[in-house]
Amino acid sequence: MSKDAHGLPETRTWRDIPQQVRPRAMSHEGRRRLVMGAIRAAMGAVAVGAVAWGAFEMAAVLRENAAAMPDTAKSDRVRSLVLVTDGVLDKNWLARTLAIPGDATLMGLDLIKLRSKILGDAQVSFATVDRNFPDTLTVRISERSPVARLMAKSGADPARMLLVARDGVAFAGTGFDAAMVASLPWLDGVRLVRRGAAIAPIGGMAAVADLLASAKLEAESLYRTWQVVSLARLASDGEIDVYTRGGMRIVFGANENYLRQIARLDLLIDVSSDPTRPLREVNLALGAQVPVSYGTAAPTLAEPAPAPDIAAPARPSIALPAFSSFHIDTHREL
Amino acid sequence: MSSKTTFIGAVEIGTSKIVALVGEYTGREMAIIGCGECTSRGVIKGSVVDFRAATECTHTALELAERDAKERIGHVYLAQTGGHLEGFYNEASLNVKAADNMIEKDDIRTVCELAKAKDLPLGRMVVHNIRRPFRVDGRLVPTSPENLVGQKLEVGYWTVHGQEQRLADNIHVIRGFNLEVSELVLSSLASGHMVTSMEERQNGVLAIDIGAGTTDFVLYRNGAPHTTGVVAVGGGHFTNDLSIGLRLTEAQAEKLKLRFGRAVVQARDKSEKVWLDGNFSIGDRQFPRHAIEQITQARAWELLEVVKRKLGQAFAPETCAGGVVLTGGAAKLPAFAVCASKVFGTPARLGEAPSWINENLRDPGYHTALGILYYGVSAQGDRVAAARAKGGFLRNVSRLFAST
Repeated sequence: MSKDAHGLPETRTWRDIPQQVRPRAMSHEGRRRLVMGAIRAAMGAVAVGAVAWGAFEMAAVLRENAAAMPDTAKSDRVRSLVLVTDGVLDKNWLARTLAIPGDATLMGLDLIKLRSKILGDAQVSFATVDRNFPDTLTVRISERSPVARLMAKSGADPARMLLVARDGVAFAGTGFDAAMVASLPWLDGVRLVRRGAAIAPIGGMAAVADLLASAKLEAESLYRTWQVVSLARLASDGEIDVYTRGGMRIVFGANENYLRQIARLDLLIDVSSDPTRPLREVNLALGAQVPVSYGTAAPTLAEPAPAPDIAAPARPSIALPAFSSFHIDTHREL
Repeated sequence: MSSKTTFIGAVEIGTSKIVALVGEYTGREMAIIGCGECTSRGVIKGSVVDFRAATECTHTALELAERDAKERIGHVYLAQTGGHLEGFYNEASLNVKAADNMIEKDDIRTVCELAKAKDLPLGRMVVHNIRRPFRVDGRLVPTSPENLVGQKLEVGYWTVHGQEQRLADNIHVIRGFNLEVSELVLSSLASGHMVTSMEERQNGVLAIDIGAGTTDFVLYRNGAPHTTGVVAVGGGHFTNDLSIGLRLTEAQAEKLKLRFGRAVVQARDKSEKVWLDGNFSIGDRQFPRHAIEQITQARAWELLEVVKRKLGQAFAPETCAGGVVLTGGAAKLPAFAVCASKVFGTPARLGEAPSWINENLRDPGYHTALGILYYGVSAQGDRVAAARAKGGFLRNVSRLFAST
C-alpha cells in the first residue's frame, strides 16, 4: 500500500538532495579521485572487453577445428551446361544463346542476364537458370508449340517463315521436324505489329488453335487438306476462313462449337462426293443451315502467297473459281 | 582480503575539529584501520559558514585517514549536528484489518506510513525518523507486532528535520572529495550509542554530547531513542564567557578553561589566584581561581538546564534509571558529571568508549565518529541481510504466488 493510496503528503528527506557535484567544485584530491575512478572504469571496461573478445576468439577456434572442417567451396570454371526442356531445343542452341566465355567461373555468371538471353528467343516461354556447384550450369526451359505458320517480310530483307504458337507469339522455330512444320497451315489476314525488338502476339490465335486442334484430332484427313487459315474476318464477323488445297473455302464460326461444325463439314463432303460438282464454299458459321456452293470444274491447286510484308501482310494467293450457291439443311442428320 | 570487505568512512565535521575514521568491514567484524584529524575552520556551531575552508579541512582529514589506512574509502557516513536540527513527535493508530485481529505486515506498514507522513515547512527536510515502540491495544511491543492479536495498532515517530541548505552544504563538502554520502547520522545518536549500554538504554538514559559549538542529546527509553535535540551552545561558549569575564583573548581563555575550569565550584579560598601561563614570562597575569570556576559553573549549569528544558516532560528521573551520560570534548571539564547529577536529579557519569576501542580513540572527542562508524557497520550488515532476504528462489516463488 503506497502513500498515494492513503493520500499522504510526500515528505522530503535529505536523500532528495542531489549529490552530483561538478568537477570544478571539487578539491584537487577529489578531481584526482574522479579521474582515477574514470581511468579505472575505462580499464575495467577494456579488460572485460578483452576477455570477452578472447573468449569469443577461443570459442571460434575451438568451433572451427581446421582439420575437421571442409574448405570453403571455391567457384570453378563452368565446365558443363545442362538443359532440361519439354521441347526440341538442344544444348547447341543453349551454348549458342548463352555464349559463355571459356574462362567464366560459375560464381562470376550473371544469372539474370543469362535468363534474359534465353527468354530473348520467343520459342522459350519460361526459363530458370541454376548454379550447381562446383562447375555446372543448369537451365530449365518450357518451349512454345507451333499451331500455324506465316511468312514475314521486313523491308528489304528476304521473307522468312515464322511459326505461331497458341498464345499468338511468332517465333523462328529452331529444331522442329521439317515434315511437321510443312504440315502446319499458313496464316492469312493478320497484321504483324512490332513491340520493341520482337513481334507482338497475334490476336485471336487461341480460337484458331482450338479449331486446328479439334480438326487434327477429330478429322485429320480433312485437316491435312487445309492450307490457309485466314483471320481477316475473325475480329469483325467472328468467322475463320479456311482454304483447302483443293480450293474450297470453309467458313467456321468462332463462336460455334468447332466439333459440331467439323462434323457437319465431314457430312457435307461425304454427301457431296460427286466429282463433277466439287464443293467450292461451305459456310458453317450459320448453325444448322449450311450454305454451300458447288463449282463446275476441278479446282486448281495453289501454293500460298509469297511471304507477306510484315507491315502489310498479303494474303496467300489462292485461285477461287466462280461458283453457284446452294443451301443444305444438315439439321436432321446431325 | 575477502571479496566482501568494504572500507567505510565516518566523518564528523565539528566546530573545533574534523575527524575522519576508516573502518574495514569484512561482513562479520569491523576494524578501525585509519584515523585522520584536522583543526576545523569555516564551521560555526556545527554549520558550514566558509565552504572553501571547511572543504579543505575535511579533505585533509579524509586524506590523512586514507593514508593511515592505506586504503581508499568507498563511501562515507556523515555526522549531522547544528542548531537548525529540530524534532517533533507524531503518532498514528490503525484498526487491525484481519477478521481474526491478527496483525499483518500490511497493517504495520500502513500505520508506520501514517505516523511518518507529516508536512514540513518549506526548506525543511527529514534527517531521521526514529520509531518508538509499537502499542497493541495499549500494550507496549518493543519489536515487531506481526502476528500478534489485537484490535488497535499504534506507533509513534520522532522525526528529526533540518534546514535543506545546511544539510546540502555538509553533503557537498564530502562530494567535493568524490565520495558518496551513504547516510546522515545524528551526532547525538552516534555518540549516545557508543557511551551507553543496551541495559541502560532499556532502563532509560540520557546521553549528552557536549561539543565545541553545539550540545547534542538523546534520551533513550525502552531500548530505543525517544527524544533527540541540539542546543547551539558548547565548549566554545565557556571559553567565550571566560574571555569576556576576565578580559582575555580567546586563546588565553581557552588555556585557563582547560587548566582551571570546573563545572562545580571547588575553591574555598576566594583569594586564591592562578597564573595565566605560569612561566614567569612578560605579560603573565594572575586570576582568581574562584572567579574562573564560577564562570564555567554558571555556563555548565545553564547549558544543562537548557537541555532539561528542551526535554520537557519526556525526561523524568523515574523513567531514566540509567541516569545521565556525558560525552564530547567539553564534557572533560572537571565535575561536569556532578553538575549534571544536580541539574537532572539522577546519577551522572562521564561516558567511556567500549573496551575494544583502541586507546588512542578513547577520548570523548572521538565518540561521535566512532558511533557513526558503528552505525555504518550496522547499516552495512542490514543491507547484506536485506539483500540475502530479497534473493532466494523459493522466496521469490512464494512472493509470486502471494502477489497473485
